[in-house]
Amino acid sequence: MIVYVNNKAVEIIHGMKVRHALISAEILKEGISIKSITDEWGNEVGMDGELSEGDKIFVNIEVQ
Amino acid sequence: MKYKHIFLSICTIILALFLLSTSFAEIKEIRILHINDFHGFAEPYKPFGSNEYLGGVAFLASKINSLRNEKPTLLIAAGDMIYGNNWTNLFYGESVVELMNIMKFDAMVVGNHEFDFGQEILKKRISGASFPVLGANIEGIESLKPYIIKNISGINVGIIGVITEDTPESTHPRNVTGLGFKPATETISRYLNEIRAKVDIVIVLSHLGYYSDRKIVKQINGIDLIVGGHSHTKVTNPVKINNTLIVQAWEYAKALGVVDITFEDGKIINSIGYLEEIKPISGQENKEVQDIVEKYKRRVDEILDRTIGIALTDLDGENVRKDETNLGNFIADIIKETSGADVALLNAGTIRTGIKKGEIKVKHVYSVLPFDNYIVAIKLTGRQIREALEHGISAVEKNEGRFPQISGMSFKYNPEANFGEKVTFINISGNPIDMDKEYSVATNDFLVAGGDGYKVFGKVLKSSKDLSITGGAIKSEKLIYNEPGKWLRDIVVEYIMKKGEIQPMKEGRIISTK
Repeated sequence: MIVYVNNKAVEIIHGMKVRHALISAEILKEGISIKSITDEWGNEVGMDGELSEGDKIFVNIEVQ
Repeated sequence: MKYKHIFLSICTIILALFLLSTSFAEIKEIRILHINDFHGFAEPYKPFGSNEYLGGVAFLASKINSLRNEKPTLLIAAGDMIYGNNWTNLFYGESVVELMNIMKFDAMVVGNHEFDFGQEILKKRISGASFPVLGANIEGIESLKPYIIKNISGINVGIIGVITEDTPESTHPRNVTGLGFKPATETISRYLNEIRAKVDIVIVLSHLGYYSDRKIVKQINGIDLIVGGHSHTKVTNPVKINNTLIVQAWEYAKALGVVDITFEDGKIINSIGYLEEIKPISGQENKEVQDIVEKYKRRVDEILDRTIGIALTDLDGENVRKDETNLGNFIADIIKETSGADVALLNAGTIRTGIKKGEIKVKHVYSVLPFDNYIVAIKLTGRQIREALEHGISAVEKNEGRFPQISGMSFKYNPEANFGEKVTFINISGNPIDMDKEYSVATNDFLVAGGDGYKVFGKVLKSSKDLSITGGAIKSEKLIYNEPGKWLRDIVVEYIMKKGEIQPMKEGRIISTK
């Protein structure tokens, strides 16, 4: 299924969570500090939050 | 003059009647307390990226009791309570149900992870619960109720529980064999029609995710409140859409959701929702709940210290980032066998340490595999397997986590060759690899998501078609195995327990021709 991380489409499979989408979007890796993760309405979501087709998440990062 | 008197008299009577009627209007208040996605996080912990401890179910219980004392209250849970960390997994969720009983929950809806221990365990947990467990859109488990109606201080509260239709695709198929998962929207409409006239307020207890909750209220009128879970959303400022308030209380008992509802003559005139963050301030914990936390914590320690088998040789976790090792082979073999795939490929970064020759305890395996990884298998062509191996050995000199540990195949590589030309030979099941043939490749969720730079799995998923499977869920045609509800480390523990003694060898699966 496709979800969007900072408006970039990433492909994940059912059962995968926010952290998988961030890995797929190459955000969850060394040298990047995550400040916040929110949904499209500005609500904070957990790293283990489950995703559905078309979900949009926005990540505020700081490159170290 | 006469008419003026009559007019004033009528006005006085109207005013008196109005004042009389308002003075007899019955105002009632109730409170809904809610949590979701607890996943067995009984103890406070430091969330990702935070310096502060949050949560702790003993602290949550204190907050619940203090808020309960203020007005008539219902306490409900929106699913994914019993599966997650060691504190619950090692007891198949029994510890969580014991907690929920003590805390006097009024109802919960099953989440997709409630199925991860299998149907028999789930049925035991339901029968052990002193509160009703809901699942209106699930067919096949009699002990699940579609809804309940509770009278609280004269207010009839209807609660309908629904779960994500994707459940069959987010747990192992054996966990949902014989069950049906109906569309949530149709199910809610059906039960809403059945109960609306009998209740003063309708609550949908949803394990669908916040996105779906918002969609539902645009399609269905007549729901007063959706208490959600699944997406782990921290809804600090709940919105009302089409007169339905939508709330969700984050995850792992880090917050308690509170909804205060005011009724006038049985009609809702006000509802507000907010979150209370749970901070573990020493001395504020609930003693009874803390005792249960401690009791199971001691049992966790006992289980982790349990001997499950014997290693007849040292299991090498030191060299996994630069060479084939017997521990890498052992784990890759288990992944291949469990999934039934042709081959397995695991990144070395998954393996964090080794195990010395001698007794193997549960905690040793957990140290080797500390991450919450699970097995996934995908169909790749021979060419795509080669691409994955090329990537895996592309930074061997840097000891990076991408180095592959494999099963069901062997390969040779020249580390000094250019990228794309390093892998010189691949053999699968005794035959040279066929670049155009499809093989099933087992790995872990981390690599499928693109972890350690492995892009090939994501590319395959992107280009593959979706198929409809049991219960209406969708899966990719290339996906052949997916078990998010069982950690790899627990599969390895079970395997060692079954074997008793293990002596994996380095077998020449990966040969550097340098």
